[in-house]
Amino acid sequence: MHPHNTPTIALTGATGFLGSHLMAALLEKGYHVIALGRSTDDATLSQRIANILKWFGKEVPTGRLDTIEINFSQEALGLDRPKYKELCQASDQMIHCASDTSFSERRRQQVFDSNVHSLNHILKFAADARLQFFHYISTAYACGMNGTACKEQLPNTTDFVNVYEESKAQAEKNIATFCEENAIPHTIIRPTIVYGDSRTGRSLKFNALYYPIRSLMAIRDIYLNDIKNNGGKKSQMHGIKMDEDGYLFLPLKIVLPKSGGLNLIPIDYFVNAALQIIQNPGTGEIYHISNKTPVKLDEIVNYNEPFMKVKGVEIVYDDSPENYDRNPAEELFDRYIKAYLPYMHDNRVFDRTNTDRATSDLQPAAFNHDIFVRCMNYAVKMEWGEKLKRLGI
Amino acid sequence: MHEPLNTAKNCRHYAMCKIDFLGSGVCASGPEKHYVSFYPQGRMDLYAALAEGKVPVTEKCLEIADTCDLCGKCDYQCYFVTELRPTKAMEALKDYVADHLEKSGEVVKEEVDEVLKELKKIVGDFWATSDRAIAVTYSHDPSPVAEPTMPDYVIMPETREEVSAIVKLLNLHDIPFAVRGNGSSVMGFVMSSGAVLDMNRMKTIEFDEKNWLVKTGAGVTAFDLQKSAQERGYRVNAAEPSALVCANIMCSGIFSLFSASYGTAADNYIDAEFVSKDGTPFKLSDKDAPNLFAFNPSDGTIPAICTSASIRLHPVTGDEEGILIPFATMDEALDFSKECATHRIGMAIGVLGGEYLSTFMAPTKKLAWEIKNTFQKELGIEYLVLVIGGKYDIKTIQNMELPTIDQELFKALYLGMPSLRSANWLSLLKEMSDDEPFSYLKLNGFTDLSETALSPSPEQLAKEVDPELQSFFKKLFDKPEMTDLVWLNMFRIISSRMGREKHVVALIIYLPIDNALIAEIDGEFRRIAEKHQIKNDYGFITPLDNGKRCVFEYDYYLDQNDPDEIAHMQQALGEAAMMIEGYVKKTGTVKSIFQLFTQGFCRKENFLYS
Repeated sequence: MHPHNTPTIALTGATGFLGSHLMAALLEKGYHVIALGRSTDDATLSQRIANILKWFGKEVPTGRLDTIEINFSQEALGLDRPKYKELCQASDQMIHCASDTSFSERRRQQVFDSNVHSLNHILKFAADARLQFFHYISTAYACGMNGTACKEQLPNTTDFVNVYEESKAQAEKNIATFCEENAIPHTIIRPTIVYGDSRTGRSLKFNALYYPIRSLMAIRDIYLNDIKNNGGKKSQMHGIKMDEDGYLFLPLKIVLPKSGGLNLIPIDYFVNAALQIIQNPGTGEIYHISNKTPVKLDEIVNYNEPFMKVKGVEIVYDDSPENYDRNPAEELFDRYIKAYLPYMHDNRVFDRTNTDRATSDLQPAAFNHDIFVRCMNYAVKMEWGEKLKRLGI
Repeated sequence: MHEPLNTAKNCRHYAMCKIDFLGSGVCASGPEKHYVSFYPQGRMDLYAALAEGKVPVTEKCLEIADTCDLCGKCDYQCYFVTELRPTKAMEALKDYVADHLEKSGEVVKEEVDEVLKELKKIVGDFWATSDRAIAVTYSHDPSPVAEPTMPDYVIMPETREEVSAIVKLLNLHDIPFAVRGNGSSVMGFVMSSGAVLDMNRMKTIEFDEKNWLVKTGAGVTAFDLQKSAQERGYRVNAAEPSALVCANIMCSGIFSLFSASYGTAADNYIDAEFVSKDGTPFKLSDKDAPNLFAFNPSDGTIPAICTSASIRLHPVTGDEEGILIPFATMDEALDFSKECATHRIGMAIGVLGGEYLSTFMAPTKKLAWEIKNTFQKELGIEYLVLVIGGKYDIKTIQNMELPTIDQELFKALYLGMPSLRSANWLSLLKEMSDDEPFSYLKLNGFTDLSETALSPSPEQLAKEVDPELQSFFKKLFDKPEMTDLVWLNMFRIISSRMGREKHVVALIIYLPIDNALIAEIDGEFRRIAEKHQIKNDYGFITPLDNGKRCVFEYDYYLDQNDPDEIAHMQQALGEAAMMIEGYVKKTGTVKSIFQLFTQGFCRKENFLYS
């Protein structure tokens, strides 16, 4: 326990999107944080953490933030015995946020190694450190494709959209079993799709919500280039033209097999809800940090039209997408969003009983045009993350 | 360093200025006077030698300087390969000579000794000389292991009989000699303190189409032979375009991507004529001729001087195309190339490094560097297998449902190369097609999209070169052959760009297509180079003999004028040679090109499987 009676929290994934925001919020609340992670070729863990805190507009707080380079895939997290023992003694709670978020089946082994197999060493640490609480940041989609009503319960299906969901589901089960056997109080926190800060638009990651927009922008730029530099010869062949109002007419059908939406929550809401859960945890409980009102892709397309000055993008619901002849722009768009498509017409409803109780019914801001524009403006300003990379984040 | 001198001293000696590979013509005095001294390469060497006080102004020096009319053709050629502008060095040479004449007027008239008189009797007055202005251009090359050696005589025979008489005369006077093709191997092997026989006047090309052969004089370049063959509807297995065919057989057996089906060494010719070391002429088909089909791993001496070879002609069909198949790993690329070779799919096969699309294709170093990242890092193209074949070969590959870059897409990528610098749409594809690498290449209309996004055009690509040369390069890039994978690989004009940044030293071995062994040796080449701080890169691999063996090139690079880099390279090459020797002994299947260096006329079986 820290001298000021706030628990010391060992945090993994502090250089990632969710983990970095949790770290900043924990430090803000006066917690002592031990960030566990690895260096990259370009920077040490300490440098990476310092860069991230700088992005948050914060200095590295003296005496309340430690960084320890570890290796999850090794016994004792790759630390020598004295250091491991010291870490065990110093840690009161743990938030395990690190995760391989690849959806790629080709990377199955790597994803399972990261999200499931390495977990054994983390759990062993939780037991060795006799943690007061072990919090696992999972995903709402670990509940799988088992109907539309998703309870705040452990997964009981083998039907998943991708290897990421499958690995997170397996990890949840392993955590629950291990923690029960070893009497480690634990929670599982399951966010849905997290985007940037609803108040500022700032974000450290630009996937999910951002991909369709980024994709459309790339396609728009291809044809704008053609119109500007080649007189629009290729564009004309596909009915793409610049309208008099300065909008690009880009006939592009997004074919979805069924109606549904994206379950989006802003990062600021995720952090508030997760902190409340961590401060008031129910052992063995699962929490869905989700949105009661998913956003339909149609709405996003509408928001995007004036933002990008592109007309002609249309959502079509049809369970036989193969019936549509696709122009090259549509082919490219389909390829771009292939991995995220299942999340764009999702009908699952996430039970929030535990979350509402733990967070006093705290709800996310309703996604609207203003938030969309704020977030996308920031994404463009950050070159969809490229600029952040240059800042060492 | 003074710019013209810097240009002169950076001549790579690849002899590309001796062939008309751009269709822009060659230096007018070269084909008339034949000595390398009358080509831009020789003039640059001469200027450097004069500027550094290594030779005096001689009679030939005046002639060499005077015969340059500053037409600028060498700028087109050399810029294409190295980005050098030799005209500046040509001007400097003329200025130097003019200044010299104005200041002192002393012109050295070289002494004609008895041997030279005899040599002149054999070949004619003009074709034998001891003038240092000429000799100095035969005295060195950028090889890091060769010591510059000034010959006493340079001789240019025209016939086999002349070669025979020269050899007898030189032997009589105990004068050592070296036989030189175009010296484009730049390995330091074509220098001698005695005499250098430059074979460049032996330019006969006689087709015997009924017997599918072309009798090729020792002075014929690969480019000129291929061009002649192509005009008659044939193809030959040719090496680097400026290499002389006969010399190239002798020192490498000739290998190219086409060796996948055309073979190497004795596969390339039907007969050949020689002059033995004692001056006796013979034909390989003579019953009592020396057995040059044999291979002796411990024999490093040149068995005879090749004066002509009857080269095999291969048919060309109207449906030939090139196709590139990208891979993320060498393992996958090797597996695919082996699959093609064992199933006899394609007539030319090569496992190329990812930089083929940047270093080789980009017209400038700067552009190559800028787009290398796009291809290798953003698109993940680490290796490419190039296959050239007829419609059935191409169809077979397409039926494998692999992502491919076909001829049309290649053209779009090539002429649209400048737009690849900021192709966000491409990097996004890699990010989002994790499950199947390069699957975006399978998109319907991907070529159409690429053309839309990249706006490929000769104009766009030509804007990358020096403003003064843009007009020429625009017309050049507009030529169909400049974007034709078949033509580019038949004539191999872009591979010389490897040496654009620094001089290249190729390390070549033959071995089975054993992925683990290749990876191990590849790693050793890299380790040795990095230990000695030598720039290095994977070159290429071509399957041989239906995939039973392959030829593997790994490349080391050096600044040819930097003594430190030369010293590092010497150490690295020594270690690499020992490493190769170790594998030769350990495996029994690995062979080094150094073993073949004087025995390229052998049967490949005797070399590869002995």
